[in-house]
Amino acid sequence: MRIQLLSLAGLLILAPGIIFGCAAEQTPGEPQAQVQSPTQSPSPQQPVGTLQVRANGEERAREGLVSKDGWRITFDNVYATIANVTAYQSQPPFNPEQGGEIQAQEKVVVLDQATTVDLAQPGSDGQDSVLVAEASNVPIGQYNALSWQMTPATEGPAQGQTIVMSGTAEKAGQTVNFVLNIDREFEYICGEYVGDARKGIVQAGGSADLEATFHLDHLFGDGEANPDDSINQGALGFDPIAALAQNGKAQVNMAQLQSQSPQVYQQLQEILPSLGHVGEGHCREAKTQTTG
Amino acid sequence: MNFKWKIIIPFAFLSVFGSSASAIAHGVRMQARETQAIEVNAEYDTGEPMAQAQVTVYAPNDPATPWLEGTTDKNGNFIFTPDSSQPGNWSVQVRQAGHGSIVNIPVEGNQAPTEGNGTAVPATNTPRIASSESANFTPLQLILMGAAGVWGFIGTALFFMRGNKSNSELRRSESQNG
Repeated sequence: MRIQLLSLAGLLILAPGIIFGCAAEQTPGEPQAQVQSPTQSPSPQQPVGTLQVRANGEERAREGLVSKDGWRITFDNVYATIANVTAYQSQPPFNPEQGGEIQAQEKVVVLDQATTVDLAQPGSDGQDSVLVAEASNVPIGQYNALSWQMTPATEGPAQGQTIVMSGTAEKAGQTVNFVLNIDREFEYICGEYVGDARKGIVQAGGSADLEATFHLDHLFGDGEANPDDSINQGALGFDPIAALAQNGKAQVNMAQLQSQSPQVYQQLQEILPSLGHVGEGHCREAKTQTTG
Repeated sequence: MNFKWKIIIPFAFLSVFGSSASAIAHGVRMQARETQAIEVNAEYDTGEPMAQAQVTVYAPNDPATPWLEGTTDKNGNFIFTPDSSQPGNWSVQVRQAGHGSIVNIPVEGNQAPTEGNGTAVPATNTPRIASSESANFTPLQLILMGAAGVWGFIGTALFFMRGNKSNSELRRSESQNG
């Protein structure tokens, strides 16, 4: 009897530990800078370089895409308002899907305000991506984590919105001119850029860049992929937007969607947090605590 | 045969016959050397392996330049042997069809690779790259693990105490009956 009671007591002790242990890995949080180095002003002896952060909607934003439901979409503009961009040298490297926080050995605030960029227009410097901000005199090393926020623009063509997509969608002789306004705020906390070449390695006197990448196929799907492909299983497509068009025009915002088409609104709410990436690398969307 | 065994058996063989075995037969000279390999497995979160995916390995001494490039096998596996003279984080990037992830594996100099800390566990439609699991335990976990260990000793002791008590009671009963 005594042994049974002791066994029960042991289980009671261990059970919360197991629960807390599991929960800890799933608890995302703000980046934690263990070594705060406002690196805009390193010591005079410290070797420094330049770090750019660029935004990229990929060829889907620049050249258009075919949605999962067969709409050929071309964008006039894809405005994204990006704010509070911070780059980190995290050790150990940060993995947004694994839980935990950025362990910053170096932290550079590349942009402490907000700026609106157009992902549909190639960069004026000849690159496909668009320059968001640049920080000079940053400590050298590999910046393997990046965070940024999406906030409503306070001025300009996207005023009041975090993302504005406008363009034309065509399917089977039908044309819809659309404007999709999104005013939801996001905060992306990302790991290392994944792509053709490694990014974010600043060498003495050199320049490197990081990329805030937006995957529009998460929203519209990919008409070239199998309908059963997971990218298409989760995507909205364009049919629900086209269904809201009147006289060939669809101009919708989130409030409208919520009242007119709650199901589409809900699906958008689930998809939007997964738009932000670093190349093919993943991010955690901190406000809703999802990764994508 | 399980894939891992295919890997383990040759290494076990090498371990048994020493780290520098050699044989000569008909003018052929062979040398075998025991090394520590890293196996990376990449799969989508659906469980589907990232077969024939593009792999790029970066060494810690030159993280900007690919140290090794290759592809995963049909099961999403990729095995390589890091240069133990380059201790630090070895990064393995796996990409396929617009999806990719990177895992960092700390390797100590001239020693076996230690636990990786960057197992990528992504969301829907994203790949997963699995290597050694992280061993970063929280203080609470460490305390509980310690408590569990202590409890194991106590439980074992109680078990044998019960056995001794039962035996002594049995002997006492037998002596009374006899």
